[in-house]
Amino acid sequence: MNDLSPAPLGPTLGPTYFTAFGVDEKLIREALSAALSQGGDYADLFFQHRVAHNFVLEDGSVNRAFKGTELGVGVRVVKGDQTGYAFTEDLSLESLREAARTAATIAEGAQTFIPARFHVTTGLPSRYPTTRRFDHVRPEEKLPLLTGLNDRTFSMNPAIRKVNITFGDEMSAILIADSSGRIVEDLQPMTLLYLSCVAEKNGEREQNTYGIAARQDMSFYSQDRLDLMVREAVDRTMILFDAVQAPAGEMPVVLGAGASGILLHEAIGHGMEADFNRKGTSIYADKIGKKVAHPFVNIVDEGTAEGARGSINIDDEGNAVGRTNLVEDGVLTTYLHDTISAKHYGVKPTGNGRRESYQYAPLPRMRSTYMQPGPHKKEEIIASVKKGLYCTNFTNGQVQIGAGDFTFYVKNGYLIEDGKLTRPIKDVNIIGNGPKVLEQIDMVADDLTIDQGGWTCGKDGQSVPVSQGIPTVRVASITVGGRSDS
Amino acid sequence: MSHLETVSEEFRAIARDAIKASQEAGAQGASARVARVRDVSVQWRDGQIEQVTESTTRGLALSLYVDGRFASVSTSDLRREAIEPFIADAVAMTRTLSEDPFRTLSDPSLYANRPAIDLEFSDPDYGSVTAARRKDLARSIEEAARSVPQASRILSVTTSVSDSRSEVFRVTSNGFEGERVDTSFWLSGSVTVQDDDGRRPEDGDFSGGRFVKDLGDPTPVGVSATQRALARLGSTKAPSKVMTLVLDNRTGGRMVGALLSPLSASSIQQRRSFLEGRAGQIVGSPLLHVIDEPLIPRGFGSRHFDGEGISARRFPIFEDGILRNYYIDTYYGKKLKMAPTTGGTSNLEWRLGPKTQQELIKDAGEGLFVTGFLGGNSNGTTGDFSLGIQGFMIRNGVLAEPVAEMNISGNQLELWKRLVAVGNDPYTYSAMRTPTLVFEGVSFAGV
Repeated sequence: MNDLSPAPLGPTLGPTYFTAFGVDEKLIREALSAALSQGGDYADLFFQHRVAHNFVLEDGSVNRAFKGTELGVGVRVVKGDQTGYAFTEDLSLESLREAARTAATIAEGAQTFIPARFHVTTGLPSRYPTTRRFDHVRPEEKLPLLTGLNDRTFSMNPAIRKVNITFGDEMSAILIADSSGRIVEDLQPMTLLYLSCVAEKNGEREQNTYGIAARQDMSFYSQDRLDLMVREAVDRTMILFDAVQAPAGEMPVVLGAGASGILLHEAIGHGMEADFNRKGTSIYADKIGKKVAHPFVNIVDEGTAEGARGSINIDDEGNAVGRTNLVEDGVLTTYLHDTISAKHYGVKPTGNGRRESYQYAPLPRMRSTYMQPGPHKKEEIIASVKKGLYCTNFTNGQVQIGAGDFTFYVKNGYLIEDGKLTRPIKDVNIIGNGPKVLEQIDMVADDLTIDQGGWTCGKDGQSVPVSQGIPTVRVASITVGGRSDS
Repeated sequence: MSHLETVSEEFRAIARDAIKASQEAGAQGASARVARVRDVSVQWRDGQIEQVTESTTRGLALSLYVDGRFASVSTSDLRREAIEPFIADAVAMTRTLSEDPFRTLSDPSLYANRPAIDLEFSDPDYGSVTAARRKDLARSIEEAARSVPQASRILSVTTSVSDSRSEVFRVTSNGFEGERVDTSFWLSGSVTVQDDDGRRPEDGDFSGGRFVKDLGDPTPVGVSATQRALARLGSTKAPSKVMTLVLDNRTGGRMVGALLSPLSASSIQQRRSFLEGRAGQIVGSPLLHVIDEPLIPRGFGSRHFDGEGISARRFPIFEDGILRNYYIDTYYGKKLKMAPTTGGTSNLEWRLGPKTQQELIKDAGEGLFVTGFLGGNSNGTTGDFSLGIQGFMIRNGVLAEPVAEMNISGNQLELWKRLVAVGNDPYTYSAMRTPTLVFEGVSFAGV
């Protein structure tokens, strides 16, 4: 008897992480077949098992811990730009079939057939420097990290009154199987450490935070990193006692290298996510190929840096992750695509299809967004400003995709007066309009830094980890939300 | 309407079994919460369905008290063979932590006197909305959105129709049992319009509530979504100036939240609260008068008991501008040696003023009517805030041109002393139930 199925392109599914949960090729095939029972262009399954821990130190001891386990599978059916989505936390064939039939209702035609054989994508890149999985590290090995930091923070300055430390780790196993017969697996680690302190001086109180995150194992917490963490957390808090309120109104703002990449995330990154452009709801819709910035402005989104919080071996649709140029030599170049938008625009997916968990359909999302180094020097940029701000630390930002207005909240910075950093400033929101601000970036230094903070991006109710970075840049004019005198 | 839905006995058994397993694994105390949530939604865009989703999620959350130590854990993997090892691991993890004498379940006396009032959390007709009706409603919202004059400006219309039903059951090893079933039904429309300068402002509207009939008529939702988006056309940035702020009731919750979060016992005990030590003191104008009221039928913050099981009761937060109470949970209450009230806000009941929003705008004469916040933050330790805003200029007592890309800043303690008027219009779609608020002398940043 002839086997009419296409020859497998690679090895078929052998024992995987999900074998222990009863997931095999037969289950996958039957679920995908049910998903395409009413037609549809394409279907995929996203299996996920995620185990996360948090340990919290407060008032001197690690006195609480949290552990969360999530197990589930999402079923997606795509027809044109339309999506049917369902998920279940019960991985039995019966439950999976029911979810698949629910997702299938987006289409209203005859069964689309799926390949008889599946092939497993092998040779994935290895971007997570991990020798020991977090679920194999005992709590006793994690806890001294927190108590050690606590002691050192208190000994750093007698004004420190309270220290809070949170250590988090996570292992997320994913298996993506789609109706092209492709199966991809990845095991994605994440860890983060936050240190927050409250200090008191002359009856006043101030509080600040320093956090770092990576897709790496315990080796991420080197002595140098921990030294920097304690020093920065205390310095960033203590300087607030000397800080003045920032002025109000339009002025030049110099953004320090590193965390200021939040500007790119809000001012252009979100607006370049292809779903908004496909729908015509982004201020960057129909602007590909147009000049949007000075020729020395180059902005990329990539997910390949080893260990970075925004890095991934594959995206959550199983697509390869590389580097996407948003702006090349000042010209708008490429949107960030998932499978649906790539098909809509007739281009290859860029590996930006991401989701919070099996409970959500993927969307075009950023990974690590940063600006390439430019021709200027940090010192010359600061020296060029007569009256303005120099901003170094940030807590949060937001954007209106269509109107283009965006904000980011500055926690630490300095006034620039006659080309010199003078008094520290604190707690001020900066608000601008994406395309206008891109045009206003008129100096870019050569000191690109990728921030190691635990940034989390929210969109349509879904949170995903991201990275960001930037060299020192000057924005010639932007509105600073300080206090006006009259 | 009087109909109190209950959860199934099988569902309760999962939580009770988890308590038993925790005790067998060595926990002296435990609380278990099981939840099952069903969400169905249709998203519609420009003439066709964009996405349909339909799912039921479930989970078990446990708090464990082991040899004076504490941890809390959750799982969506409810296979019997998975739960027992999960609990055993969790108890072992708890044992690695430091002892914490303040960490206990709530005093069982606080579980007593639970109110019996029907808060109308759920509609027994849940499930009566068919896929076909959702689609019809979603289409009708778009049709209404496109029926408005100037509809040629519309770039895209996205609408959604969704409903949800959740069941929660909670039990503790020291005598608390409680459950609730919630339903909700929502319609929404969002419209993006083309501005002359290339911007594509977006705005929207919604309606809904706990009962199927709260879905209401799709037409006003669509019409309002387009009108709100069109109103943003041609927005400008005004000069930086100190002005009167009229805060739309729909958006005021953000500012109120920044005033309330420093009232939590954890903020006080961790010295991150600008309201520490201010009970009995004046912190706002005499118009700041707010009661925490958990027993409003259909209120979005209503409850018979809080997350710890403490029976709900009404208590004052601010009276005539004077701070009366903090939000005190069991743990931080013990650390502070203060009796627990409740760990978090329920509904807010404001002492309303006599005037409508339109009258307050008229009274303001000149100023800025803020309809939305964009980003920004409020520092709970110092009270300093800086928030992006959009809205409309007020000139001669009426709304004038739209403004955007602006910011307000100040300090919470100064701001609330400048509260000069409270509207008669609590926004009942939010548990904050904020009326329109008017503040004098607020610092705006723009050009």
